[in-house]
Amino acid sequence: MDASVAMYVAQGIHGLAYGMILFLVASGLTLIFGMMGVLNLAHAAFFMLSAYFGYQMLAWTGSFWLALLVAPILTAGFGILMERFLLKKVHAFGHMGELILTVGVSLIVLDGVKAVWGTESLPLKMPPILEGLVQLGSLQYPIYRLFIIAMALVLLAILSLVLYKTRLGMVVRAAVADAEMVNALGINVPLVFMCVFGVGTWMAGVAGVAIAPILTVFPGLADQMGMDAFIVVVVGGFGSLGGAFLVSIIGGLISSYGVQFLSQYAAVLMFVFMAVALAIKPMGLFGERE
Amino acid sequence: MNKKTKSVLWLAGALLVIVYPQMFGIYYANIVVTFAVYALYASSLNLLLGYTGLLSFGHAMYFGTGAYGTALALTHIPGLPLIPAVLVGFLASVVLALCIAPLVVRVGGNAFAMMHMAFGQLMFVLALKLRHITGGEDGIGGFDIPPFSIPGLFSLDMTDPILFYYFAMAVIVGSLWLLWFFTKTPFGQIMVAVRDNTKRVEYLGFRVPHTKAVVYVIAGGFAGVAGAIYALFQNLVAAYDAYGILTSFVPVMMTMVGGVGQFFGPIFGAAIFGLIDEFTTRFTDRVELVLGLVLVLVIMYAPYGFAGFITRMRMRWAARKAA
Repeated sequence: MDASVAMYVAQGIHGLAYGMILFLVASGLTLIFGMMGVLNLAHAAFFMLSAYFGYQMLAWTGSFWLALLVAPILTAGFGILMERFLLKKVHAFGHMGELILTVGVSLIVLDGVKAVWGTESLPLKMPPILEGLVQLGSLQYPIYRLFIIAMALVLLAILSLVLYKTRLGMVVRAAVADAEMVNALGINVPLVFMCVFGVGTWMAGVAGVAIAPILTVFPGLADQMGMDAFIVVVVGGFGSLGGAFLVSIIGGLISSYGVQFLSQYAAVLMFVFMAVALAIKPMGLFGERE
Repeated sequence: MNKKTKSVLWLAGALLVIVYPQMFGIYYANIVVTFAVYALYASSLNLLLGYTGLLSFGHAMYFGTGAYGTALALTHIPGLPLIPAVLVGFLASVVLALCIAPLVVRVGGNAFAMMHMAFGQLMFVLALKLRHITGGEDGIGGFDIPPFSIPGLFSLDMTDPILFYYFAMAVIVGSLWLLWFFTKTPFGQIMVAVRDNTKRVEYLGFRVPHTKAVVYVIAGGFAGVAGAIYALFQNLVAAYDAYGILTSFVPVMMTMVGGVGQFFGPIFGAAIFGLIDEFTTRFTDRVELVLGLVLVLVIMYAPYGFAGFITRMRMRWAARKAA
């Protein structure tokens, strides 16, 4: 492999890793949207909150694995609390109230972490076993990013197995399609919603801890990821998991090759991609008409 | 309220606006200008959100474009008078709204909100990256504020905060009056009908996308006026203040807190936010935290906002009087 090919491959894997993180965040967002018809604008804030929890766990226990395990669960707990005690209460006033409520929660979380942890970026050390480089042909590649890809793929496999091969998954998919009907069939739909909300925030939480060793933990973490995840959900089609996966990968590759070749305009590329995609398919690539 | 008390109240309000800076001085006059800018900005959003039922998370596009339009015009065109400078901001926003309207008027709900969030962020990123035009994070500042003059008659120095207060209030109150007038026209009624029952409006033979487009351009234009006044007031326009995501959220929050769909709702909201800002900054840096809490509490316990609360109180009072 000569140097330029190696560079293409390296950027490709970079893009895959970012795409996988993006998918972990966007899949929760799109599932929650599919169920409640509301885009959870606090989703990216939870993603960041989990990174802070991870930092704190690591500082207390010294174990990255414990942080990766516990922080997302804590975050999911916050998500469930928000669903139970806030979102459900305003459901009667329509989607607009719910949407704006999530904005309020996201403001509280974003400013709350600044109050607790300050504004500087905090390092989150990766475990020694994932440090260093691995030899891929003539290319040396950091193990940690490969670990992210592997972990996301495992989670994706579990998620799709549960969603498409179990009774529980069938109930969830049915509730996404027509909540009222499923409720009428005697299934506790609010409980299903709460669980899906929890799982969605949990995945965003896993992504938050997983990306923290690369990007460090800082209050701006939510901005970039939040925007990219929204674009993925919009372009993939609201509520479509497959669309979210495909667009996450495309988005990851766009941003990594974009930084390489058009670094000046890398930040705009995702929006251009979205504009083009929406101009062709206004409801997203895999979306149905509202 | 009969007509007489109403006109007396309006007169008293106008008098208060006029004598206010003389009584309280420059600091409080500036607070009122800030409030008025946001009141106009939020009212323009309310035209979309409250009257037509379109939630936008990217209204800062128009506020920012108005601000940048005026700032750029004053920087690059020497000797540009004051009113044309404001008009440049207004027209810049109108042109932007005309460009975006065809893309967004056919969708509603979440898609409308999200597309605006994306377009708004796009403008923000462009303002950051096109450094040679916009000055990036530092923005454009220090441009000359021309005097307000009618040649041969008079010339008022706009760098005097008190005189600027009068100018800003005149423009903003005038714009608010135009907006109010607009909601009372037959077209304003169609706009409300689009919110309440889109299908029915179509069956009645009105063209929904066209109606939305007209409302959209007007809302954008007046947000541009608010931005233009803001640029003159601050003498500085920077990317984050003009196009930042928070600048898009603020008018939505003001409208929700004040009372969505009522003309005076966003004005109450802007006043409430002004007060919160003024008092919380004295005690803590965590203004966003307080705003978030207020927003959550309002959505939970007073979904129709301050104006809705007043209406309910008045109805209760009237009912008791009748009993």
